[in-house]
Amino acid sequence: MYGFDNITANNGWAMAVVGSTIVFAGLVVLSFVISQIHKILELWEKRSFRKERRKEASPTDEAPKIQGPLYKAQHLPSVNDLISIYRPLVEQLKEPFEISQLFEVSNKMDLAHPHLSIKQLWEADVLIAQGDGTFTWNKQKGN
Amino acid sequence: MFDLLVQFLANTGYFLADYRHIIMLVVGCTFLYLGTAKKYEPLLLVPIGFGILVGNIPFFKGFGLGIYEANSVLHYLYFGVTTGVYPSIVFLGLGAMTDFSSLLAQPKLMLLGAAAQMGIYFTLLGALFMGFLPREAASIAIIGGADGPTSIFLTAKLAPHLIGPIAIAAYSYMALIPVIQPPIMRLLTSREERLIRMPEPREVSKKEKLIFPIAGVLLCCFLAPTALPLLGMLFLGNFLKECGVVNRLANTAQSAIIDTATIFLGFTVGCSTQGDVFLTPKSLGIFFLGSIAFSIATASGVIFAKIMNLFLKRKINPLLGAAGVSAVPGSAREVHLMGLKEDPNNFLLMHGMACNSSGVIGSAICAGILWSFFI
Repeated sequence: MYGFDNITANNGWAMAVVGSTIVFAGLVVLSFVISQIHKILELWEKRSFRKERRKEASPTDEAPKIQGPLYKAQHLPSVNDLISIYRPLVEQLKEPFEISQLFEVSNKMDLAHPHLSIKQLWEADVLIAQGDGTFTWNKQKGN
Repeated sequence: MFDLLVQFLANTGYFLADYRHIIMLVVGCTFLYLGTAKKYEPLLLVPIGFGILVGNIPFFKGFGLGIYEANSVLHYLYFGVTTGVYPSIVFLGLGAMTDFSSLLAQPKLMLLGAAAQMGIYFTLLGALFMGFLPREAASIAIIGGADGPTSIFLTAKLAPHLIGPIAIAAYSYMALIPVIQPPIMRLLTSREERLIRMPEPREVSKKEKLIFPIAGVLLCCFLAPTALPLLGMLFLGNFLKECGVVNRLANTAQSAIIDTATIFLGFTVGCSTQGDVFLTPKSLGIFFLGSIAFSIATASGVIFAKIMNLFLKRKINPLLGAAGVSAVPGSAREVHLMGLKEDPNNFLLMHGMACNSSGVIGSAICAGILWSFFI
């Protein structure tokens, strides 16, 4: 059989139309997908960048929460040791003195954790508040 | 003693040769000439040409020498063709050699690769019109994809008795791209159109290149699972290249493996063109239809590019449509050369490669679709 009869008899028209439609549709879909890949990647990278930034930002935000454990983790000297460290500094100051003065001196001496140390001395009643914002050294406990 | 000498002479190729062997030997020498002197697709034409010479040396049938005789060495080598093993291996190497960046940067050029596949379906109708059986017509039609391995693969599945003429036609037309395509491109485009410059493609990230083979294999093979042996290997090769952790495998795929497969594929296809099997009226019909298929594929691509230009703000150079056939990189090179002839500063090679690589994918999908029609 030849000619159009052969094409029709063997379903040639349908094969040509369906085949060309499928290949065209397939490549159109593939081209659409690959045209979106870089956009999706861009979005993904932005998202992960934001996540990273959030992670970086979170430790400062939550600083107060981890101060407690840090306090214990610092292995601050005992009150007796603090007394021996801070007594010479207090002797430099005229009594009554302000906490800020003591803080300034301890900073000059490059002592570790002056805030915490001064707080600990105050809690141990080595530093006694005078009620007017000044402090004195408790000579009984601080010797 | 004289009888022995006569008997020996009666078994020599000189005595057994007939005009068909001589014709095919001339064809083989022409292939070798085109491949070596003219440098037309030498990687294909040299092994095929030499194979034609070897396959057309007359011999006494029954000695287990010929490619069509069971248990002959050539028959075993030919096994890779008839089962579709060599085309798959060639696709692995092709994937490992192909950089899809230009395609990823300009996905719309993929449509030109799709349009160029129309040649396949026109030829399907033409082959049926000429009286070929449906399976034969489908095998002939795939020549329009201008992809040798794909043509061999599909023919091995649908009409194995036509592998020789179809493979020779496909590879001949691939080699004759510089002769066939330029007149069609010139005929269908104006000078102004040929002067259109394409924008610089954007830079493509490593991640995109890595995702593409995965997206490609999933989308294409879900659509046409019968294209798996070709596209699966193509995208595997490309993934090996792009993932960067298996450079040894990628290097082997793009050198030793594809070269070995090409040698055996070309040589055995050449050997399969034994004059008595090859020189038939069907072969002439296949060559005629092959040239029609290739020309229609080229024209379809160019015309579709012109149609796209009606809707696009930034026009594309319609010459690129001719690179939609999957003859990598011959047709892209031809497009580039024609662009340069009109404007020495118009570089179309990278854009042509984008169309070319989509043509490879498109023709493999077409092969899968045609095969699935006959399952």
